[in-house]
Amino acid sequence: MMKKIIKPILWLALLIILIFFPKLFGVYYTNVFVTFAIFAVYAVAVNVLLGYTGLLSFGHAMFFGAGGYGTALALKHIDGIALMPAIGIGFIAAILLALVLAPLVTRVSGTAFAMIHLAFGQLFYVLALKLRNITGGEDGIGNFPIPAFTIPGLISIPLKGDPVNFYYLCIVIMGLSLWLMWFFTKTPFGQIQVGIRDNEKRIDYLGYKIPQTKAIIYVVSGAFSGLAGCLYGLFHNLVSADGSLGAMISFSPIIASMVGGVGSFFGPIWGTAVFQVIEELTHRFTDRVELVMGVILILVVMFAPSGIAGVVNTMKMKWHTYTASKAKMEKTS
Amino acid sequence: MDPTTSMYVAQGIHGIAYGMVLFLIASGLTIIFGMMGILNLAHAAIFMLSGYICFQIIAMTGSFWVGLVLAPILTGIFGVIVEKVFIRGITASGHLGQLILTLGLSMVILGLVKVFWGTQSLPMQVPEILQGMVNLGGLEYPIYRLFIIGMSLTVLVLMVLLLFKTRLGKIVRAAVSDRDMVNALGINIPLVFMLVFGVGCWLAGIAGVAVAPILTVFPGLADQVGMDAFIVVCTGGFGSLAGAFVVSIIFGLLSSYGVQFLSQLAPVLMVIFMAVVLAIRPNGLFGVKE
Repeated sequence: MMKKIIKPILWLALLIILIFFPKLFGVYYTNVFVTFAIFAVYAVAVNVLLGYTGLLSFGHAMFFGAGGYGTALALKHIDGIALMPAIGIGFIAAILLALVLAPLVTRVSGTAFAMIHLAFGQLFYVLALKLRNITGGEDGIGNFPIPAFTIPGLISIPLKGDPVNFYYLCIVIMGLSLWLMWFFTKTPFGQIQVGIRDNEKRIDYLGYKIPQTKAIIYVVSGAFSGLAGCLYGLFHNLVSADGSLGAMISFSPIIASMVGGVGSFFGPIWGTAVFQVIEELTHRFTDRVELVMGVILILVVMFAPSGIAGVVNTMKMKWHTYTASKAKMEKTS
Repeated sequence: MDPTTSMYVAQGIHGIAYGMVLFLIASGLTIIFGMMGILNLAHAAIFMLSGYICFQIIAMTGSFWVGLVLAPILTGIFGVIVEKVFIRGITASGHLGQLILTLGLSMVILGLVKVFWGTQSLPMQVPEILQGMVNLGGLEYPIYRLFIIGMSLTVLVLMVLLLFKTRLGKIVRAAVSDRDMVNALGINIPLVFMLVFGVGCWLAGIAGVAVAPILTVFPGLADQVGMDAFIVVCTGGFGSLAGAFVVSIIFGLLSSYGVQFLSQLAPVLMVIFMAVVLAIRPNGLFGVKE
């Protein structure tokens, strides 16, 4: 009964905070929040693959980068393209990349899957650096035009140089993506993914086609990573090899998922929040973010392998057994 | 020899030298994987660490030979400590935990290296005897690369003898195929693991010292050479020593001829080779189906 009332109130409160966030916290923290939102969606997209299907990819930056480069190239070379088609082009670029790779990578799993992605991620990083006439090499593609968000005949919201408007666009797109992925994992098809993670052979015997099923979730994961990448590119007005394709871009969502809890849908979001806070703090004191991240990873794997979500679950279990035993005591006494 | 032939021969030897270095790193990786089921992502960082240790030893003692002998041994000891402290505890938590842990380790090593030695490239001098050129039937070729090939071959022969002619080698090979059974037979498997991990790091250490004078020592070394070693292990088949050897040499040649003919796009060749191999044989060239 209580839960039924509390939940909508919490959602409403969250919505109100999100709407008034720029007014409450100012431009700097709004930008921090946009980064957080983008990486949260990216981490959730990676975790859909990692936590739900058990496939660890060390090269998801290539989808992130495909989205970013797709959008940036479209905005730079196609005159008068509107914002939504440009984002769509980035999205489709990531989907195409995932479709091309899917037949190859769905045949392997486990360590080989991770290593193939490490290699392909590196390949795209090198390609982006070397194909200078397309990607701009080390400089990347910067300062491309960002058109206003328009619904023809209704509204036109300028985005370039306006962080608050960009914040709202970003929140809407990221919220929709999260909702879609949440919905996707709850469908029967999404549950088959969990089955593949837990016992691939049994799902195979039940008559499901394993590689095809994996391929679909692979494309979904890649597509949303690409969407996150293309908003990231728009946010910075810059797409570069290091910023969108580098190894850290591949590793950070994995770290976030690991810290938040692999296999829990909202875990990666918590993980990204922790990650973001730590990055903010460490940047103030030292520039050795890598070192701090490494130490956190080691500590998490050794002492809390199921992340924040795992810790919260154990606490909940303890609380429940505690209250249950207390109720029992009261009954007997 | 006319210039074209000499170019081919020189690039060929270059490729073999690089392939041997790759094999030194990849052999450690693949043995560790075969035995313990752990792909040690920190291997590349350990390889780089050895270069730094060697640089430090040379800076302190002034002798390349001391560094050449001592740095890999120190690296091996470091590996043993890493295995004892970090890896032993999480062998049960599945490949995901292991990959993430070793990834964390490699980030920490990289971070610490940057703290102690900074990010610039540190040059390393080889002793007089190894400098200069040698005449190979009309072809002037740097001695140092031949030295790398010779040293790697020596280590390789030692490893093969150790693996196939001694009791320890027998235990290691048995543990690769079924470690629980070997453990049940009363052999202290955790100790063997520790030893194998140490030897694997020692091999990477030798490679680290070997490439240091050519490429200089810098933090990007781990990414640059280490990535190739991971691709080698993946393409050759996890746990297969023969696969690692064949693929290392192929990759060495691919990269040296690739640099000659395609210059900038040489790294792409390896990934394409890997993609083709894995498309035909998902478990790698010499991999066995699990």
